[in-house]
Parts: sequence; C-alpha cells; structure tokens
Amino acid sequence: MTTPRQRLASIFVELSGGNSGAPLDHPVLLTALAVRSRELVGARACSVLLAPAGSESGEVYASEPRARDLVREAFNRGEGPGPYCRRTGNPVPRTDLRSQVARQRWPHYVSRALALGYTEVAARPLRGRDEVIGVLVLFGSGEAPLTEEALVFGQSLADIVAIALLRDRELDRSRVLAGQLEHALTSRLTIEQAKGVLAAQRSLSMDEAFAILRGHARARQRKLLEVAREVVEGRLIL
Amino acid sequence: MTPGDGYADQAAAAWQRAAAARERASRADDSARRHDEWAREPGRELHEDLAAALRTTAACHRSSAQLQEGFARRMTRWAQGRGARPQFMTGVAEACGTPSAALTLVDSGQGQLAVAASDEVARAAQELEFILGEGPTRDATATGRTVVATHMVLEERWPCCGPALTALGVREVAAVPLSTPDVSDVCLGALAVFDPRPGLVGSQAFAEIVGALTRTVLLDPDADPELYGGTDHRDVVQQAAGMVSVHIGRRVDDALALVKARAFSLGMPLETFARGIVSGDFRLTPEGRS
Repeated sequence: MTTPRQRLASIFVELSGGNSGAPLDHPVLLTALAVRSRELVGARACSVLLAPAGSESGEVYASEPRARDLVREAFNRGEGPGPYCRRTGNPVPRTDLRSQVARQRWPHYVSRALALGYTEVAARPLRGRDEVIGVLVLFGSGEAPLTEEALVFGQSLADIVAIALLRDRELDRSRVLAGQLEHALTSRLTIEQAKGVLAAQRSLSMDEAFAILRGHARARQRKLLEVAREVVEGRLIL
Repeated sequence: MTPGDGYADQAAAAWQRAAAARERASRADDSARRHDEWAREPGRELHEDLAAALRTTAACHRSSAQLQEGFARRMTRWAQGRGARPQFMTGVAEACGTPSAALTLVDSGQGQLAVAASDEVARAAQELEFILGEGPTRDATATGRTVVATHMVLEERWPCCGPALTALGVREVAAVPLSTPDVSDVCLGALAVFDPRPGLVGSQAFAEIVGALTRTVLLDPDADPELYGGTDHRDVVQQAAGMVSVHIGRRVDDALALVKARAFSLGMPLETFARGIVSGDFRLTPEGRS
C-alpha cells in the first residue's frame, strides 16, 4: 500500500520528468508544488517563488491568492523569509511571527502576514546546481501549525521541483543551440547551391556569383539566406 | 597547407578550450559532492541521482579536455616537423582505438549537412552513405540508437552501402547518435567508428567521448563545430548541384541526386566530380554526361 506521501512524491516525479523531452509547464508544476505542499504538511498556506540569480522579476505561485500577494510583495521589497532564503540559500526554520525577534527583523512583512491570519512561517530553498533558483514559503496558523516532519518533506518536494526546472532549462538551452547549429549548416548549403545556380545562369565564377547574391541582399536590406533560397527555388532571377 | 598557417592560433585555442573544460569538470564535481552531502539527510535520495548526473557531466568535460589537449600537442608537433596537417578527428579516432572515425552532422530529415573524418576510409564511408542514402550512420540518426554491424550484417542490412563499405576494407562499424542529454528528439548527427577497439562500444570511455563531442564540441557557447577547419561542408558539391539544376531544368534536389548517381557510376570521388562540373570540364544533361 502506498502512503499519501509516496503518492505525492510520484505525482511530482510524473510532473517533473514523466514525459521526458516535453517542455515543462512552469505554472502547472509550481502551483502543484504550492497546493500539494499545503495539503501534505497541513499548513495554512504555501507559496513558491521562482527567481533564479540574475532575473529581475520573480514568478510567484501559491495555494491561495493572499499568500501569493504577500510573497510577491516581500520579494519586491526584499524583506521577509523568502528573500532571506533566496539570498543566503539557508532555510528559514519555523518562526513565530508574533515574536519580538520576528517583528524586529521583518517589521513590514510581519504586520502584513499577521493581518492575513498567518502566525508562523518557514522557508526552504529550491536549490540549483550553483545557486538558489527559488524558495518554498510555508505559512502556519493556530489551527494549522507547521511541523518539523512537514518541513523535511517540503524540502524534498522543493528539491524534486528544482531538479525538474534545472533539467528543463538545460533542455531548452540544448534545443536552442542545436537549432542554431542546424540553421547555420543548412544556410551555408543553400547559399552554395544559389551560387551554383547563378553561376550557371549567367556564366560566372563562384566568387562573382556570391558577390551578386550579397550585393542584391544588401541593396534591398534582405537576408542573404532568403535571397539564396529564392534563387535556388527559381523564384528570383538575378 | 604549410606549418605556420594559423597553427599557433589553433593550438592556443585548443589549450584554452581544454582549460575551460577542466574548469567545468571540477565545478561539476564540486556540485556533485554537495549533493552527496544532501543525499545523506533522510528522505533525500533524490540528490544521489543528481550527483550521479553531475559526475557524468564532469567526465564528459574531462574527455573533451583530453581531446583538445591531444589536438594542441599534435599541432605543435606538426609545426616542428612534417606530415599532413593534424585533424581534430584523428584524436577522436585514436581515443576509440582506430584510425578511422567520422563525425556526421545531419538536418531534421537526417540529410547529411557536414562531415569531419579522421582519414580516407572514414571519409569514403560517409560519402557512400551520402550518395546511397543508406547505412549505419543514417540508421543511427534516424532511430536515435547505437548501430553496430559486422561484415556479414553490413552487407545484408544495407544491400548497396554494405558491400561498398566492406570493399573499403571495413569489417565493423559502430555508429552512435549525438543527442543532447535527456532529449532524444534532437539529434545533431552521429559519430561513426570503423573497426573500433574490441569492447569500445558500450564502454564508459566511449560514452564520454560521444558526450564530449555533443556537448562541448558542438553545443557549448564556445564550441567549434568547424573542428579547427576539419569539417567538410561539401560546398563544391552543392555548387555543382546548383549549376546542374540550371543545365537540366530541374529542382536542385534532383540535380544533387543526379550528380551523386553519375559520380558513383563513374567510380569518381564526389568532390572531384563536382569540381569538374564547376570548372566546366563536365556538363550533365538528363540523358548523360556530355
């Protein structure tokens, strides 16, 4: 028999790598992380901030809109457990938002969070290869407190998602580079063919044919490849 | 070409690429160690997988560094002595325990776009596949799987290409698709090795060479798919196809097919035949050569 946790873990494995090769749907995956984490840990609310180093804006997903707004605002102000966790890579342990320490540390954040009914907060990093790419923020309240066990599992879910995101980013990069390489190679082929067509049509040398192709493209501010393709396909006579 | 023809620049570039690859390898190893630590915490087995993946990446970078270093040394030696200008693929072939290896780059329709070969056998073998449209490399890129074939199988599986390959003296071919990690739907081409060292196919070292070619030679931002000038784009053949398409009044694809067929039936290297067309020594008509 599978426990709810095992089932949940398998959901994430499915979400993150089940359909290998297909690009990830970030909103679906990250919303699932937030919603499922909340269900699983019995927290009041969960939110995911995705903000890899160097990115100006972050993406925020949450189990409820007010948690999303709070985490987004904290990110924009750079104050609160989310920004701290993202900056340092350190998890934020379960913190009582009613404590004096919390109020002093994040004055603006704490009053907003308490107003929304959250009395506890914890944060776990989404760890990339060399940097933190985001944060999972968990909120608790009197009826739905955060437990140590829940936080450990929250980190595991965050890890699965982080790995999926990294893999997706690498996949994307590979696809782009592979596409560029193929484009460069096929362009060259078409241009050489066009030189041959032009050389035969007008009894020119290959260098002369290329000069005419390039001259035509420049004069009309068109791409050399487009001109070459039209020449090869017989749609353009130079 | 003569020594001095850019050799120092190429050797320097190879050393630089090697150093960058070693740096990347050690970064990946560092990350792997970090994930090892995380994996020790309960419920964090996931990190073991990531650590293993990072170690594979590190090994590919190291293999890449070795290939670049080998090429740099060859260039330096060549500049001091005689002989043919070294090819990057010569080092790749040697690492596979054979003199003959070829890197073939293909388009999405598995058409050959460019070829880099270590020697004449490898070059001729890739040309046969280009002309005949069949063979181990084509199957490897079409299926995304490694193809290994020995003498008898070669002749049975590819009735045109197989016997021609064995006539070149090839007894065994292993062709491995160059796919990006995790993405089997993006295939850049294949590495074909001819009469490889026994036990090479399926070995870790071979996987690392293939990974090195895919990632660091072709796809890294500072990659050099031209392989230091060793990549042949068959420019003259494409030019000839363009000319013949005008002469016979057909599409360039048909013209290319005709150029290939005539060269093959004349038993002439495609490049030589194409040069003859471009220079005006040969002129193809739909009926025959005039």
